[in-house]
Amino acid sequence: MNRLTGGPGPGARGRATALRFSTCPGPRPLAAVLLSAILGLTLAAPVLSQDARQIVEESQRRGKARSERYEGVLEVVAANNKVSRKSWNYIRIGSYGDSKAVIRFTAPAEVKGVALLVVNHPDRSSDQWMWTPAIGRDRRIALQDRSSRFFGTDFSFEDLEERDVNQYDYRLLGEEAIDGAPCWRIESRPRQGKVSQYTLSLVWIRKDNYVPAQYENYVKDQLARRLHESQIDNVQGIWTARLLEMTDLRRKSRTLLRIEKLEYNIPVKDDDFTVQALRREQ
Amino acid sequence: MMLLRLISWPYIRKHLLRSILTTAGIVLGVALLVGMQTANQSVLQSFNQTVDRIAGKAQLQVTAGDAGFPEDVLQRVESAPEVRAAAPVIEASVDTGLPGQGKLLILAVDMTGDRSLRDYDFESGDDDVIDDPLVFLAQPDSLILTREFADRNGIRSGGKITFDTMEGPKQFTVRGILKAGGMAAAFGGNLGIMDIYAAEKVFGRGQRFDRIDVGLREDVPVERGQEALQKALGPGFTVEPPSGRARQFQSLLGIYRIAIGISSAFALFIGMFIIYNSFSIAVTQRRSEIGILRALGATRRQIGTLFLGESALAGLIGSACGVGVGLAFARSLTGFTGRMMESIFGVPQNANEVILEPRFLLFAMAMGVAVSMAAAFIPARNAARVEPVQALQKGRYQVLGAGESRVRRVVALGAAAGAVACLAFRSYLLAFYLGYLLAVLAFLLLTPFLALELARVLRVPLKRLKPVEGSLAVDSLIQAPRRTSATVAALMLSLALVIAQGGVSVASFRSIEEWVTTSLNPDLFVTASETIAARDFRFPASMRGELEQIPGVDEAEPVRTARVQFRGSPVMIIAIDVLRLARRVHRIVVAGDPDGMNRLASEEKGVILAETLANLDKLRVGDMVELPTPRGPLRLPVVGVVRDYSNQLGSVIVDRKTYIRYFQDDSADLFRIYLKRGVSAAEVKARIIDSLGKQRRIFVLLNREVRDWVMRLTDQWLGMTYIQVIVAVIVAVLGIINTLTVSIADRRRELGVLRAVGGLRAQIRGAVWMEAAAIGAIGLALGIASGAVMLYYELQVIRRDLTGMPLEYAFPAAMVALLVPVILAAAVGSAILPAETAVRSSLVEALEYE
Repeated sequence: MNRLTGGPGPGARGRATALRFSTCPGPRPLAAVLLSAILGLTLAAPVLSQDARQIVEESQRRGKARSERYEGVLEVVAANNKVSRKSWNYIRIGSYGDSKAVIRFTAPAEVKGVALLVVNHPDRSSDQWMWTPAIGRDRRIALQDRSSRFFGTDFSFEDLEERDVNQYDYRLLGEEAIDGAPCWRIESRPRQGKVSQYTLSLVWIRKDNYVPAQYENYVKDQLARRLHESQIDNVQGIWTARLLEMTDLRRKSRTLLRIEKLEYNIPVKDDDFTVQALRREQ
Repeated sequence: MMLLRLISWPYIRKHLLRSILTTAGIVLGVALLVGMQTANQSVLQSFNQTVDRIAGKAQLQVTAGDAGFPEDVLQRVESAPEVRAAAPVIEASVDTGLPGQGKLLILAVDMTGDRSLRDYDFESGDDDVIDDPLVFLAQPDSLILTREFADRNGIRSGGKITFDTMEGPKQFTVRGILKAGGMAAAFGGNLGIMDIYAAEKVFGRGQRFDRIDVGLREDVPVERGQEALQKALGPGFTVEPPSGRARQFQSLLGIYRIAIGISSAFALFIGMFIIYNSFSIAVTQRRSEIGILRALGATRRQIGTLFLGESALAGLIGSACGVGVGLAFARSLTGFTGRMMESIFGVPQNANEVILEPRFLLFAMAMGVAVSMAAAFIPARNAARVEPVQALQKGRYQVLGAGESRVRRVVALGAAAGAVACLAFRSYLLAFYLGYLLAVLAFLLLTPFLALELARVLRVPLKRLKPVEGSLAVDSLIQAPRRTSATVAALMLSLALVIAQGGVSVASFRSIEEWVTTSLNPDLFVTASETIAARDFRFPASMRGELEQIPGVDEAEPVRTARVQFRGSPVMIIAIDVLRLARRVHRIVVAGDPDGMNRLASEEKGVILAETLANLDKLRVGDMVELPTPRGPLRLPVVGVVRDYSNQLGSVIVDRKTYIRYFQDDSADLFRIYLKRGVSAAEVKARIIDSLGKQRRIFVLLNREVRDWVMRLTDQWLGMTYIQVIVAVIVAVLGIINTLTVSIADRRRELGVLRAVGGLRAQIRGAVWMEAAAIGAIGLALGIASGAVMLYYELQVIRRDLTGMPLEYAFPAAMVALLVPVILAAAVGSAILPAETAVRSSLVEALEYE
């Protein structure tokens, strides 16, 4: 998941993280995946007997953390190789599907101070607010078109949402190595009633640490986006990808997210995750 | 067809000039109809296209008049289960100051959600290529322009453009370019897109939106969505498809459209008379021809059809030319009409393109042909009734039978009596309009008799002036009453309408001038927009204190105006501190207690109506008024009626407290500034600009400037009168040339004999000129008399059915004083060519005639 908006995102661990890129329907947060790695070796035999849904659930469980903080560097490489960079501070509280996160941009100068509050809900799309210091006011972000791009990156707003495992059907397709690491290859499809831009997603979950190594999201059976996660480290007992690369195959552009100074279970207050706090912390 | 070719064509060829003049009547009528309607339609279409293109995929729009509403309404809309997407919008126009570029329409939206309703087709082909969407949102100076506008002004992505904002002049950075076509074609390509929250500051909206565009869920039909959303929001809001905005604009233009309709109908009506005149003359001239045809076995039906066929052909040719002339006219009129609409209603316009409506052009052609045929119907019927024997007798065909004259006079007197009787019941719509019709009919039927009598009266002075020429001229008129009366009738009608319209203009002008003098009495007006009609920019309430701090300012009175729908019409709410206003302005009170009404309105126990609205909607003191507001219906009794012309469709004056409470809006469009005694207005104006001009966009207008602006606008509005005067003059010229041409052709032998017995060319010339002047004078006399009567009816129509303005009867003496020499000069001028034909024709040919 989603380290941008606070949900569990690709590379971000901890199922509770708001702003993680959950590009795959039902993928668990990176923290859960990383956690699974700790237990991976000892639990290898029982895991093999798990079905696809159990694997995804386990992945999410292992990434769980009460809170999280990191500094992110985002690099968008357009089709014409034009590169734009942004960096932000990220902080999250709560558990997967019921978390709150604040992203505060620190560079470049034009966006410095812009802050985003994301409140994830287990049963519906997240609520988001944005603070723009130059205008001096906050705004509720109208997430009506969840397939639109997240502020010029290759992630869509839907990719940022924390997903409920119960809203997808899973199927274990087999095993395949990603970056040399053996993975389960799982197919997920949104259940009836679940609105998604994607008709089908494939996720590769590492067998050793339950970290999702790659996602492929399809729109009408055509591959639309691919998220690759790498530089997987154990941070405070949670296996977490530190480098996420999202490729938009239709636009032929990609977005890299580097996660630095990552900390889990830090002391944070609920009051820091309000619209008032967005304005306060300039 | 064969008859047309064998009989009509040689006649047309022989009388080519007259045929052209006959057709010119239709050309004029159709040209005016096509020109004015096409210009009006082009303005409307241009507005509709802008609305359509900007609306994108929105199926419904939520508005609360043009007052806007607080941001929290968005959540109420979003939470309706029928709603798929809801996008807030602010729309305003700005002057970029770029030479020749006119205004830029700013569409301010929330880009994070707006794309679910609008397709932003950006240059790079990327789906959201604002250079950086986050920067676009983060920086309040972000602007997207269209490729067309950017190219015209040499602006590239990253370029700058400056315009005035409520925070003073501000430079905006172009952070995206829209591809040409689609939405980018709205407002003639002069479209800019900015972030809605930045726009709230730029335009001084506070935390308010102008409207919300709504997309419904796939399974929700528009009607059901509209109903559900209306129910959820309450009656204070209007929920309707985007086309509803076009309808609202159309209703704003209602009076203008009626005025155009009257002018066009007037032109066609006059054209009809010219045709009638020409065909009547043609029938009388061709009586012997008709007699021969009848003697050879042609049926009455064939003769009638022949003349109707000729008229249809004339109508067709005239209409085709009229359409061409009209479209050329529309080209220059469209921009003017758009600018006038913007000045009066404050609705931004950018209509420069003439939009052709083939169906309307076909209708105009059909109308031209139909009018032509209708005008020729009576002459054609008369032609069909010609008895062969009588037709071959000379000299009697121009004479009206005594019986015929008597019947006409009796019917005319009956119609006049009916018209007078109807006056007693004028409060009833049917009786009033029947009376109007009977009055016109009476004048028309009396025209031959009156024309004849006036000609006899004229004989004395004309004979005294020039014994030979005067007698010849008057005798010619008396001997051919049919020919004379048709021309005189056309001239009379034309002048009557001009005089009536002129009288309305004079009365309107006086009434508005009186209102301007009594009501617009502040020393200075501080507005946020270039004119006091535009409401794109708004001041914060706090500015009152700032203004009152400026040395020399005694009082700054905030005024907020907003249009809302009231009984299906867009009326203006004027929010002002009623008691403070009453201390400064002594309005003309039409109904209610002057002190009591102000007190009650100030205590939020009532509203004061403009007399125009009270007249149109038949409202009286004590009646209940219900206005839609974002906080639900505002129901208050009418506590007074005053004279107020702030809005053409009427105004409701409410106390500022009431407005703020119901509309949750404390902004102001303008401040009325009263100065301390002995202070120079120009100096204080300079101080205000000095003190506040750098922080925000302000326009400070001297009292004289505002009054001049209002009167100039009134002048523009009444400018249609001048078009009618021109039409009247053209009618006079066409009709008189036609009549004289026939008159001379009829009297070729007589004129030849005169010359043979020693008549001088100068005498013949003088006789023709005098005949023309006599026609002009008779037409003028009857036109002035009938115009005086029609003016009464027009004033009544305006008061009861058009604008509600209670205009006092004022005979347009100055206009008549101008018309007399103009028409007489036009009459004599039109006689020049026929007179020269008369004096230069071959004497031998003239004596061989017949």
